[in-house]
Amino acid sequence: MSTSGTISPQTGGHGHAVGEMESFSYDDSIVRMFVTATILWAVVGTAAGLLVALLLVLPSLVDGLPWLSFGRLRPLHTNAAIFAFAGNAIFAAVYYSTQRLCKTRMWSDLLGRLHFWGWQAIIVSAAVTLPLGITQSKEYAELEWPIDIAIAVVWLVIFGGNFLMTLLNRRERHMYVALWFYIATIVTVALLHVLNNLVIPFGGLESYSIYAGVQDAFMQWWYGHNAVAFFLTTPFLGLMYYFLPKAAERPVFSYKLSIIHFWSLVFIYIWAGPHHLHYTSLPEWASTLGMLFSLMLWMPSWGGMINGLLTLRGAWHKVAADPILKFYVVAITFYGMSTFEGPMLSIKSVNALSHYTDWTIAHVHSGALGWNGFMAFGMLYWLLPRLYQTKLWSNRLMSLHFWVGTIGILLYIIPIYAAGLMQGLMWRAIDENGQLMYPDFVETTQSIVPLWWLRILGGGLYVAGVVMLGVNSVMTWLSRPAKYEVPVYTAPRLTITYEDHSPAPTSTLEGMPVLGFGVFVDKWLQLLWHRRWERLPVTFTIMVTLSVLVATLFELIPTFLIRSNIPTIATVKPYTPLELAGREIYISEGCYNCHSQQIRPMVAETKRYGEYSKPGEFVYDHPFQWGSRRIGPDLAREGDRQSSFWHWKHFEDPDSTSEGSVMPKFEHLLAQKLNFSVIPALVNTAHILGAEYEDELSDAEAIARRQAESIAADIVKQGGPAGVHEQQAIALIAYLQRMGTDYFREETPPAPSGTEAPTEETAPAEQVAMTQTAAEAQ
Amino acid sequence: MIKDLVSALDYSECAISALVLFVGSFAVVLFGALRLSRQATNRFASIPLTDSVEDPRDGQ
Repeated sequence: MSTSGTISPQTGGHGHAVGEMESFSYDDSIVRMFVTATILWAVVGTAAGLLVALLLVLPSLVDGLPWLSFGRLRPLHTNAAIFAFAGNAIFAAVYYSTQRLCKTRMWSDLLGRLHFWGWQAIIVSAAVTLPLGITQSKEYAELEWPIDIAIAVVWLVIFGGNFLMTLLNRRERHMYVALWFYIATIVTVALLHVLNNLVIPFGGLESYSIYAGVQDAFMQWWYGHNAVAFFLTTPFLGLMYYFLPKAAERPVFSYKLSIIHFWSLVFIYIWAGPHHLHYTSLPEWASTLGMLFSLMLWMPSWGGMINGLLTLRGAWHKVAADPILKFYVVAITFYGMSTFEGPMLSIKSVNALSHYTDWTIAHVHSGALGWNGFMAFGMLYWLLPRLYQTKLWSNRLMSLHFWVGTIGILLYIIPIYAAGLMQGLMWRAIDENGQLMYPDFVETTQSIVPLWWLRILGGGLYVAGVVMLGVNSVMTWLSRPAKYEVPVYTAPRLTITYEDHSPAPTSTLEGMPVLGFGVFVDKWLQLLWHRRWERLPVTFTIMVTLSVLVATLFELIPTFLIRSNIPTIATVKPYTPLELAGREIYISEGCYNCHSQQIRPMVAETKRYGEYSKPGEFVYDHPFQWGSRRIGPDLAREGDRQSSFWHWKHFEDPDSTSEGSVMPKFEHLLAQKLNFSVIPALVNTAHILGAEYEDELSDAEAIARRQAESIAADIVKQGGPAGVHEQQAIALIAYLQRMGTDYFREETPPAPSGTEAPTEETAPAEQVAMTQTAAEAQ
Repeated sequence: MIKDLVSALDYSECAISALVLFVGSFAVVLFGALRLSRQATNRFASIPLTDSVEDPRDGQ
């Protein structure tokens, strides 16, 4: 049923004649679809988080079910929380607010439906492939190439295209600031996604990143940090700028501040990624640049927070009575906390303590649960009665959700902050004799298990709150009218050519004894050209893209082209065919979720793990496996530390070799046979990417089998079972035994006639190490 | 050619250039935003408060 909406006059601003009157209505059915998906995936994503938290304290919970192991489920949790829950919330916000800010219906209903179903199909694909171990192993970019292509099409072509066409067909000349944030989101996420997921596929669902080692790490964390920036920050700021004024029934505190913090955020955020790689093999200059820009991010981030909180000026009495505003206030407060903590964690000395620990997990969850979760919940509760055109089923349940959720967040993050601090301090503790105080890694893990239990309590409360939202949503939907009313608005289309009747900019310098250039600059600084961009979506989009690209290229070009950033080490050779197969198992099982492969140049680390990692050691690592967290110890120098049989027993029952370990059993690797026939494809793809192979190219399978038999024979000699040479565990053991060993390998002596001085490419490992140490000491 | 060009650069200058670029852009945006008229910002800020088309809507 249609009802008559507001009728606008026949003239536009300033009395210009405009086009013929047109009738239109807003498409709220697509918003209802995204709202439903948001709530559904909120339940799934947070419940998956609760399950992976349980697996850390009860690692034997899913024994015999490898597809439910921590390494495979953690990416499922992060993807569900980010791309399913937050993603659908973003789309609901964009589809609702864009139509109203542009005073027009979305350009294409069909594209809207294709977007919805395409995105849900992508999420379901992720939910199927990740537990099956089909992953790229890049955090928040785990999905394999066919799904990545689908994401690019659905995000950029379908969603982006529909959004841009809606902007072009709008009836409001000025593009409100929320739309700027949406533009930045769409453009930058597309750029990040495409550049970080450039791969060479092999087989149907697998691939190698075209980047290796240091460059892959750099690209991944350029993506990873900006996924936080442009998927979890800018669209939610856009959401805040629309829904907070609506809920508070007052305009945003300062439009000027929104302009300043928008451009500052867009420009600064893109540089900050390298702070995820402090003290790693990344070049020092990139790391420092990342830290500096991360610190600068504090200003624009708090600009957004201040603008949000001060929008409630004079309306704080409403906050006390309205749970929706309470959700917003807590969300914005958590945004302020997280965006203060983020820059602080990017300071190298702080990062040296916090990196790889649970501190990062607490930081992430204060942002995700507090900022993203509560902003989304506030929006959903505001939308539900409007979309279903009835009263919210229970305001008391909404209020209960707020309190249970808030307490849940605090019970989650406080113990995990404590756990992170304990880990960091225990890992670096040195006694009076200069030895590690806690040399047994398991001891440091066991000491935080009680805090992990508390986290489960907090997480459980948060999930309970989400379930309350689901119940409230379903009950509200059940009381909807038989047919929704669809208000019809009437307004003329904007004229294609806009005649700006405002006076031309004047300068106070005109007529004064200054150069003409001075007058020009004075007029230019009045930013009337920016007012013009704000009316021109294509120009605005190009400017945002340029801001992001310029910053990106400043970091990418030197990192990729300057040879001295990654000194070659002559003794570092490509992986053998069997090791490549083992590496695939390592990736597939998600080992990187718990083990890093990067030893930082710190006394406590070199004492615990061995020589610190060098950039040249990772030139064949497609993709890199440095990890970001140490639930288990670093594995960068794992090769030759333990016997092959020790590893076999460790997979069978980690507790038997490392008492108190929280690692799950990997018995299926001992039982399942390795598919040797896929190894040639791995070798060929690695060769395309630069690995120097000869016989391996024609005889990969046989070479792999010979190495497997050799390792199996070692296991028998060490007291292990016989006849295991075809098992998957053997390939993984081959890879583990290779880790970090090339650096110490003796280079084959040169031919007798060789009198040339060693070059950088042919220098023995020791010499390269000395050069690097000297450079770092400067 | 790009490779040669970049190799010739002292790449620590990239960081300095980045900072200069940002500070310059920030100064321009800040200065311009502060010079916006109150009438304009009030009008822009009130856009989300109504779902209807309002007059004037063609404002700069």
